[in-house]
Amino acid sequence: MTINRDFEEQSAGAQVGVGPFYDNANAPTQAALDTQVMMDSPEAKSRSPLVASLRRFARDKRAMISLALIVIIVGIAFIGPLIYMHIGPTIIGGPSLQDHIGPQIYHDPTHQELTRLNQPPSAAYPLGTDQLGRDILARLMAGVQVSIVITAVVVTFDVVLGLVIGTLAGFFGGWMDTFLARFTDLMFAFPILLFAILAAATLGPAFIDRFGPSGRLLLVALALGFTIWPQMARFVRGQTLSLKGQQYVEAARSVGGTDRAVIMRHIVPNLFNIVLTAATLDMVGIITAEATLSLLGLGVQAPGSSLGLMISDASGQIYIQWTEVLWPVLVLAALVLCFSFVGDGVGDAFNPRTKD
Amino acid sequence: MGDFLSGAVPVILGLAVLALLVLATLRLGIRFVIRRLVGLVFVIIGVTFITFIMGYFAPGNAVYTQLGQHYTKEAYDHLTQFYGLNLPWYQQYLNFLARLLHFDLGYSFINEADSVWTILGRYVPASAVLGIGGVVLAVLVGVPLGVIAAVRARTRVDGTVQGVALVLFALPSFVIIPLFDLVMVWLHSQGLPSLAVSGWGTLDTMIAPIVIFSASIFAFYVRLTRSSMLEVLGQDYVRTARAKGIHERMVIWRHAFRNALIPLLTAVGPALAFAVVGVFVVELLFNIPGIGTETIAAITQRDFPVVQGTVILLAVTIVFMNLLTDIAYGFADPRIKTE
Repeated sequence: MTINRDFEEQSAGAQVGVGPFYDNANAPTQAALDTQVMMDSPEAKSRSPLVASLRRFARDKRAMISLALIVIIVGIAFIGPLIYMHIGPTIIGGPSLQDHIGPQIYHDPTHQELTRLNQPPSAAYPLGTDQLGRDILARLMAGVQVSIVITAVVVTFDVVLGLVIGTLAGFFGGWMDTFLARFTDLMFAFPILLFAILAAATLGPAFIDRFGPSGRLLLVALALGFTIWPQMARFVRGQTLSLKGQQYVEAARSVGGTDRAVIMRHIVPNLFNIVLTAATLDMVGIITAEATLSLLGLGVQAPGSSLGLMISDASGQIYIQWTEVLWPVLVLAALVLCFSFVGDGVGDAFNPRTKD
Repeated sequence: MGDFLSGAVPVILGLAVLALLVLATLRLGIRFVIRRLVGLVFVIIGVTFITFIMGYFAPGNAVYTQLGQHYTKEAYDHLTQFYGLNLPWYQQYLNFLARLLHFDLGYSFINEADSVWTILGRYVPASAVLGIGGVVLAVLVGVPLGVIAAVRARTRVDGTVQGVALVLFALPSFVIIPLFDLVMVWLHSQGLPSLAVSGWGTLDTMIAPIVIFSASIFAFYVRLTRSSMLEVLGQDYVRTARAKGIHERMVIWRHAFRNALIPLLTAVGPALAFAVVGVFVVELLFNIPGIGTETIAAITQRDFPVVQGTVILLAVTIVFMNLLTDIAYGFADPRIKTE
């Protein structure tokens, strides 16, 4: 093997770290793996590596605060609306403009109160209303729900597909490996967002016909999932390749372990750290990508709500009611920052190179 | 082919590509270059096929859209013939590939007088200035900051640089831009000097987009430079250099930094891909007539020849940037060579 060969590997590895969300420093390396046993502190030796990692993570203040904030934001977004629907004074409005309507009606994220456009915060509308007289707080909660649901679906897709194809490609090589390499090359030259934009614009109407209003969400999730998994698969493949050369795998084979047993018992459990770290960092990318798609008018459509859609709507109202754009921006910033702090913390805690 | 191919720009571009290929052949060997070019062909066939299939099965009829109220049977037949839309799909795609061999990208569905080359020529300059300006600024700010953070690792300086980098790294530009707009609107209302919040062409409209775009990617360079430098600073040869009594600045920049360059160069390709995505949003929110705005408009208007054009442009750019990265490896580390 020549040096050039190594350098090819290196540039292939670099391709895996596509986009802003992978930092090569965070990707556990072969060297890290080798030193895992040596580096564990004596007190950690008595515990399983998982417990040690969790302890390290629990000691990371920034990550823990972020995690708590995520739990709070998500909790408010999913449980909040149930309570919020019953809080608020009766106001005069409605379709006839003279009805007495309660919070059950005007705290619905799609309800338009046409006499109350672009209002500042008030008792009825804690964060004010948008340019169509919809309650901003209700829409924020609905928007966060969308972000979280899409993230959950895409990450599941990402992990399952990345893990299965990455492991098989790394372990067996052959056509699966070739397919993965070619497909990643293709997706690398096809910026993720461009593909998702294309899919959302061309297939959107068909999905809405078939699956109703939520068809668009499904499509966005599918498009993002389809483009994101090759990165994960490349990570997993690289790690599988190096695990395959480890002595304990050789030992397992020599005592008659089948391929299946070796993969399930010795390879997959050792992929946990790398998959967890990559998946957490992917979440940041997914939230951003969904918001970007909606911002471009290709993701969630009105009357549905999404943080990206809210930013795009509100940026036209900056001169009229400037707080409108502030809320979705702050919530999105909080979500994205918290997820990346948690991702950073997970990367540190589960990377065997980091010591206490 | 349109006016884009008749000016001096394509000649310069062509010469640049040729120079790149010659340099690559000299540094990396003919086999490597050929392998990359074969890869490029594969990538182009792949991305154009995906784009084509999506366009083909997308609802809507480009000719109807273009004719609008001026619909007549003759005009409809003429345009259908003109774009070759009466052919079966595989024939359409093969014709497209055949024309591509002659660098002919076809004509816009929205305006049959505009060739795709004309449209690319119209919108690429703004994007190129924004993209290249942003990346250059990000490298100029990010790399030195990363080196400083690594040299002062685990101090307050390091913590501050890292904190700022992480925040800017995570915040998408469409979070920063509305906040920027709010500040500018406020400044303007107070009668203070402010920057334009939209448009492109004059210097005061170009500053904000370039700075905001580079802010979203500079953190990438900071983090990468820092981790790469930290690794190198722990090496024996750095200790040896220090032991010889070489000035610390020399140790850092001559001995350590040059060796820390490799991972940085590797990041050029991915950063470019990210740059493209970032540019989409920045262009849209600042109303910049660039390729990102145009691509999104083309996609929503189902102007698929233009979409194909931008997709090919991106794919070719990325493949050539990777080739450039590989050449740069050789300069940064002479040990890396082909057989």
